[in-house]
Amino acid sequence: MTSFVQATLYGLLQGGLLALIAVGFSLVWGVMNVINLAHGAFVILGAYIAWELNSTLGLDPFLGMFVAAAVLFPVGYALQRGLINLVINAPVFITLLLTFGLDLLIVQGMNIAFTANYRSIPTSYAGKSLALGDVRIPLGRLLAFVVAVAVTLLLVAMVTRTRTGLSIMATGMDRGAARLMGIRARHVYALTFGLAVALAGMAGAMVGTVGTFNPAAAGGYTLLSFVIAVLGGLGNMYGALVGGLVIGLVEAWAGQYLSGTWVNALAFLVLVLVLLLRPSGLVGRAFYAARVEV
Amino acid sequence: MRLSTVLVVSSVCVLGLAGCGSKGSSQTEGDSNTLTLGAAVSLTGKLAREGALTKEGYELCRTKINEAGGVSVGGKKLMLAVQYQDDTSKPDTAAQLVEQFNDKGVKLILSSYGSANIEAQAAVVERNGQVMADSAGADDKIFEKGYRRTFAVLSPATEYAASIVKAIAELAKPKPRTVVFLSADDGFSKTVTEGGMAEAKEQGFTVLPPQYFPNGTSDVSSALTKVKGQQPDVIIGSVHLVEGIAIVKQAHELGVTPAGGFGETVAPPTPDFAKTRGGQAENVLGSSQWTETVTGQDKYFGTAKEYGDDIQAKFGHRPEYHNAEATAACLALALAVEKAGTTEPDKVRDALAGLDTESFFGRIKFDESGKNVSKPMSVIQIQNGKVVTVWPTEAAESKLVWPGIKQ
Repeated sequence: MTSFVQATLYGLLQGGLLALIAVGFSLVWGVMNVINLAHGAFVILGAYIAWELNSTLGLDPFLGMFVAAAVLFPVGYALQRGLINLVINAPVFITLLLTFGLDLLIVQGMNIAFTANYRSIPTSYAGKSLALGDVRIPLGRLLAFVVAVAVTLLLVAMVTRTRTGLSIMATGMDRGAARLMGIRARHVYALTFGLAVALAGMAGAMVGTVGTFNPAAAGGYTLLSFVIAVLGGLGNMYGALVGGLVIGLVEAWAGQYLSGTWVNALAFLVLVLVLLLRPSGLVGRAFYAARVEV
Repeated sequence: MRLSTVLVVSSVCVLGLAGCGSKGSSQTEGDSNTLTLGAAVSLTGKLAREGALTKEGYELCRTKINEAGGVSVGGKKLMLAVQYQDDTSKPDTAAQLVEQFNDKGVKLILSSYGSANIEAQAAVVERNGQVMADSAGADDKIFEKGYRRTFAVLSPATEYAASIVKAIAELAKPKPRTVVFLSADDGFSKTVTEGGMAEAKEQGFTVLPPQYFPNGTSDVSSALTKVKGQQPDVIIGSVHLVEGIAIVKQAHELGVTPAGGFGETVAPPTPDFAKTRGGQAENVLGSSQWTETVTGQDKYFGTAKEYGDDIQAKFGHRPEYHNAEATAACLALALAVEKAGTTEPDKVRDALAGLDTESFFGRIKFDESGKNVSKPMSVIQIQNGKVVTVWPTEAAESKLVWPGIKQ
């Protein structure tokens, strides 16, 4: 029983972090119909920014993540405005090709700038844990989980309650109608992409605090984001959170009750099952498929 | 118009990046004063770190041998040249590049990094009649296929965890009773686990069922939660760096504290391990193909300590065993060419098969299958943040700290 509770708890905490990693990916896909294959590279870039701040200035990664977000937001904005926007109406495989190229460039750039050595952001508290009887709650992961949930809730509040957020949703639902209402779609898209890259950077700082990273890890985070986005569903800001928690729990339980090598297979099996039963994801709204292109 | 421009630019970007791994220089073995070796190494992708160390090892070999006048072949001195290619850490690319070397007439090959890459390369080497000095493919399965042209300077995979078990059995007081293996699920790690479990049974330990997790994962919490209740005295990880770091970190988070301590194969000797884990890394045992205290010397590199100083001077860091095994593979190939008196691959192959030499890397002598079984592995322990050799006792710098964990 203890091990079940322990595994469940760990899975939930891990799931929260996965959700933060995937939320930007899901946002960009849902609003812009761009599958951003460079997403994982931005996560790792955020980790390096937080690491650099920690090792040179001694800045705590939970503060460093805001700096990472602030640095990466304009990068994302400019990339969308200057590059991705040029192919935004092209068939999906063109944007795939472009973001794949971006991914290669960023990952190789990080290899050159930081070498492929594994790094981790040391803190005095991330390795500590709170004991509840026999069950341990790792402090670093708990904090990362709290950040992930808080950021997702803030994102939901922004999208549903602010003019900027509503314009993002409106553009995602029907770009033509949004334009007729005076929304500058190009600006909104760039804002969305900038936001997604900033969120990826924050997630990266958390990844660096609770785990290890090097440039080669980028691909894995892109794949995870993809699975979580599809599982949770697009068009709903809670999608990534639900998807992340489900994947975290499935992986923890699979590791506990099956041979550990089945973890990935089971996560993908759950994905297939969900897609069979709910093609638009667990909480997704299929507005993108129905939207009108102008 | 704009779309097509972007298309062209992005395609060129992508193709250019993908292609840089497969385009080679046009140099062939035509120059009669040069001995050209082909090396496909992992400069990008998930093995980029180890690939870079491997390349450093080959480079040091090339410069030291050339500084000493080159390789003597039939009364002539040949300058050593190495053609590098990036295999992007992918076995099929590594194999293709060996094929390309063959097309260019390069018959003598220095291996890539890692068992998966080298297993793929070995098949091509065999088919083309090339000869390969294997610097980093330790999986015993490579040597069970009857290949006659691949020779590994390093100790086989079965020794990695087994050497830690031997060190504990010999030196640990009180002697622990139960051992559990946590293993990544790739072929190499599984072979390591099998070898370690066999040795542990032989040494009289109670061996609990092993726990596997996906290769390359940074979350091993499930495996740790499962073994927590069994209270093993020693936890041995058959891992790479990433999983090794995760075991120590998450064991700390989950309160998994074996009475004896932790052993992990290749993670602890890597400087990143102690750097990223700080105090948690203290007293963790690891196994290493080579340390700077290994005995033996050779005419090109001198002793292990001198080799270490050369790496420091050329690359600005102390050597890792990945450097040393790469240099040793290159050395073995050069010595075999000298011994054969020709660069003709069949003769070089026979010379390698009969090679028996001391070197900075220890003894290099191959068995029938091409494994170097004469060289023991070293067992290291992190003591005060430093990697020190504790076994075998004749090469030990310090005594084993046991139990290796603070209760």
